[in-house]
Amino acid sequence: MAQKRFAFVIEIDRCIDCKACMVACSVENNVPVGHHRNWVKQIGPNGTYPILGMHFEAGNCMHCTNPPCERVCPTGATYRRDDGLVMINQDICIGCKYCIEACPYDARYFNEETGTTDKCTGCVHRVYRGEEPACVATCIGNSRHFGDINDPRSEVSELIAKNKYYTVYEEAGTHPAVYYIYRGERSNEP
Amino acid sequence: MSHEFHWGFLIVLYLFLAGLSAGAFATSGLANYLGSKKYELIGRVGAYIAPFPVSIGLALLLLDLGRPFRFWRLFVTIRWTSPMSIGSWLLVIFVTLSLIYFFLWLPDRIRNLVRLPHSFRHLFRASTWTPLKAEEVRRWKLIIGGIGFPVSIGVGMYTGILLGAIPARPFWNTPMVAQLFLFSAMSSGVGTIIFILALISHQKISFDECMLLNSVDAALITFEIFLIIPFILHQSLATWSHKESVALIMGGPYTYYFWIGVVFLGILFPLSLEVVELWHIVVKKHLLCRRINLGVFSGAAVIIGGFILRFVFVYAGQASHFLPVY
Repeated sequence: MAQKRFAFVIEIDRCIDCKACMVACSVENNVPVGHHRNWVKQIGPNGTYPILGMHFEAGNCMHCTNPPCERVCPTGATYRRDDGLVMINQDICIGCKYCIEACPYDARYFNEETGTTDKCTGCVHRVYRGEEPACVATCIGNSRHFGDINDPRSEVSELIAKNKYYTVYEEAGTHPAVYYIYRGERSNEP
Repeated sequence: MSHEFHWGFLIVLYLFLAGLSAGAFATSGLANYLGSKKYELIGRVGAYIAPFPVSIGLALLLLDLGRPFRFWRLFVTIRWTSPMSIGSWLLVIFVTLSLIYFFLWLPDRIRNLVRLPHSFRHLFRASTWTPLKAEEVRRWKLIIGGIGFPVSIGVGMYTGILLGAIPARPFWNTPMVAQLFLFSAMSSGVGTIIFILALISHQKISFDECMLLNSVDAALITFEIFLIIPFILHQSLATWSHKESVALIMGGPYTYYFWIGVVFLGILFPLSLEVVELWHIVVKKHLLCRRINLGVFSGAAVIIGGFILRFVFVYAGQASHFLPVY
């Protein structure tokens, strides 16, 4: 059995912008009011009338293979687990907020209650109990998926094997582990 | 795209104060090396300033941390990929050196109150400790100044690299930021010395000292012009994200701060005053500052400009962002 590599697969055309993932995450992880560990971004409307398009891109920490936040952390509080999840050791974080600036996805927030930085943990506490992360479990449209992409029989592996996918800000050299599947047409017009 | 500012006024002030100290130390060390008698006033004022702004800055930096009492975590590890980790070690070395340097420059009767062991044999016998001799003081000033000079360059540069090392912020992510911050740090150090000398002893300042201060500062801020021009050109000619990021100072919310505060007040205005001063020294062979105290204005302008430069970069950088391809 190869080393696990956890990843998210998000099917754009199944997202209905209900934001249940954001609520589920905040409840599961006790996220302070005013912050979110995940998001649903509205992309568009794009195009020119009458050919217009709009879609919703849900997201969370990309659990990058080459995380810029981990590189800049001065104390080593941010680290990458062997299973690919990028985590923050809350006992070592000094709250300098350098990683918040370094993240191209704005996936991190400053938790005023603890005085440290916080972000998506991939619900690692649920995953090793055999459950899905809260955002995935609650997803009404079945848009969010989570699993081990090193396992060829997992749901996420099959999804990215069968569909065209894209990742966000790959040009930052981050090698993100959130794969987006969009079967519709993507407009290139800003 | 709207963005929260996580680094605020404290960080701006800290980056500015750390740079100012680095500049003051480097100038003092250089002046002492070039001629400890000839440039004594510069060496002394620089050495007296150096340790304090950076110490205030570090206090502000601690206040900005989410968990200030965990700051020691920085010093139980070195992470070579994190500019902040390297920078915090550099700052500790710099503050230590600048305090020693400050001590060496104290007037004899104050410095002589402190007795030191002369060799390892005397280390544990405090009764044999003696004050430093004049010859030793001269030698140690050169040694500490010599070690501290590259360290202060490092501190000045680190404040820029801290920002420049972040690919996620296109406004910062260019090698020019580190150079700009370095030259601005050095020039705000020189500017502070010019300002203080102009306030306390513009009648006593010598020909050589006036020449050195004004020419060094004029050179440094001229370099800044030649960094700002390629900075704007490169950002405008790079990717869409970079182009949009430089728009923050080319019509965006930071335009007036940058062009009036940094370029005019911090560079062009003091540069013209310094050129006038230098012209009087070189061509007319007399010191203009004896009659008109230009140093007060050029020094203050350089200091204010250096501060606004940090402000513009810290805020505009955080407002800049990668832009999606669709």
